[in-house]
Amino acid sequence: MTYPADLAELIEEFQEVEDKMERLEMVFDMADEVIPFPPEQWTAISKVQGCQSEAHVKVELQDGKVLLLSGADAKLVQGLMGILSIAINGSAPAQALLLSPDFAEEMGILNSLSPSRSNGFRNMFDKVMREIRVLE
Amino acid sequence: MILLALRDDFPILKREVNGYPLIYLDNAATTQKPQVVLDAMNEYYTSSNSNVHRAVHTLAGEATEGYEACRTQLKEWFNAERAVITSGTTEAINLVAHAWGRANLSEGDAIVLTEMEHHSDIVPWQMLAEERGIELRYVPVMEDFTLDMEVYAASLTNAKLVCVVHTSNVLGVRNPLEEITKLAHEHGALVLIDAAQGVPHERIDFKDSKADFMAFSAHKMCGPTGIGALLIQPEVFQTMQPFMGGGDMIETVTVNGSTFQTNEHKFEAGTPRIAEAVGWCAAFDWMSSLDLREEHQRLVGIARWVAEQLRAMDISVYGRHEAGDSAVVSFLHPTIQSEDLAHLLDARGIAVRTGHHCAQPLLHRLGISGTVRASFYLYNTMEEAELFIEQMKYISGRFG
Repeated sequence: MTYPADLAELIEEFQEVEDKMERLEMVFDMADEVIPFPPEQWTAISKVQGCQSEAHVKVELQDGKVLLLSGADAKLVQGLMGILSIAINGSAPAQALLLSPDFAEEMGILNSLSPSRSNGFRNMFDKVMREIRVLE
Repeated sequence: MILLALRDDFPILKREVNGYPLIYLDNAATTQKPQVVLDAMNEYYTSSNSNVHRAVHTLAGEATEGYEACRTQLKEWFNAERAVITSGTTEAINLVAHAWGRANLSEGDAIVLTEMEHHSDIVPWQMLAEERGIELRYVPVMEDFTLDMEVYAASLTNAKLVCVVHTSNVLGVRNPLEEITKLAHEHGALVLIDAAQGVPHERIDFKDSKADFMAFSAHKMCGPTGIGALLIQPEVFQTMQPFMGGGDMIETVTVNGSTFQTNEHKFEAGTPRIAEAVGWCAAFDWMSSLDLREEHQRLVGIARWVAEQLRAMDISVYGRHEAGDSAVVSFLHPTIQSEDLAHLLDARGIAVRTGHHCAQPLLHRLGISGTVRASFYLYNTMEEAELFIEQMKYISGRFG
């Protein structure tokens, strides 16, 4: 899988870190990269289902480009939202839809991204992609 | 030294997770399996695999002996006359709902549940209640994490069944089952005990318990997944009707109708879990060499120490850890979200569980949506508990 340059660089940075706790800390730091989606705007529609933490996303198009607004109570989930934001914000919908969720695994953050597993990241990723498809 | 030798029986405990020795503290979800269980199941598939009961050939005989030996073991271990082998606690409770509930409950009857129940002891009754117009009454959990026994006593009028969890999978609190059962019987209600978290820690005499049904799973007591049992007192057994039809549970079948077996087989339609039964037998044999009472005291001591350490770190702990309780420590960190905390602990090889633990009504009562849960079992050591606390302190300092 070829990733956008920013994301590819991030994946490389993560892969250089051996200790998983340090990698998790790096993801937590990425939580600041999201475009905030304030909790007072969270609704049943914006909620990521099947996620252990409270996580909400909203996708908009700004000048025809994807804009992901997101927030979660778990730093890991919001950090992954931050990484996803770096990967897709400002892209054309068709381009954003090419992204594979495998980057979280390649970064050594999550072990299994099977859709059947209750996995906050995978559920969040799938919901964002569904919303982009609707807007496309 | 004895504990170290015991740990050698579990090959999985030798593995590393994320570069650290595994510290497995998710035992309330499922326990690890000793080598003898793995060997017994492997040996069964290698040498005796066949279907049980009707065929006359040698392998079928060996498979039948292996399967029925599990039933014999269950009856001996728990002093029970009737033991139906199921897929686990959930199926066992559903079996009561269908096989006893449908034959004995009707509109206007009441079932008493508690807020402490696992979803598997709530949902089957909600489904039956909706179908039959049955009233469900819930006994509240009080601030000290025990059941409100005054409300319980008052809720027994016209009740036909009391369903109560032996030991909470979230709090580790063991309920006063003797009192609960006595009161229920005085009011003419039967008693179902969900003992999924009880049997791993306590050798229960089912006959003495006077409960009418007891449900539990093998995998929480070093046995395989996919198998469990329902113990039934003999006089109640006679009042149950089969609910799942198929092979093995019949006596005769004609185009006009069928007659059914009269023993436990009438509730075991289809090919049963033979290898799992063989594995469970091996687990019972392995556990019979231990002093479960002594081990339980050691584990509750560890859980109590862990709870004290966590409270000293301003972490909220849910549970009381008294002598009869199980070695479960549920807690919430004041600043680190539970899922994040579980990921951070996993980075150091420590396995804990997060979420609602299939007990949402209890968590609702506690005013929370989930906890982190560390649960200890036979192979866990005080040293592991100390390492867990050490990592909790480190993570709190770095991320809290």
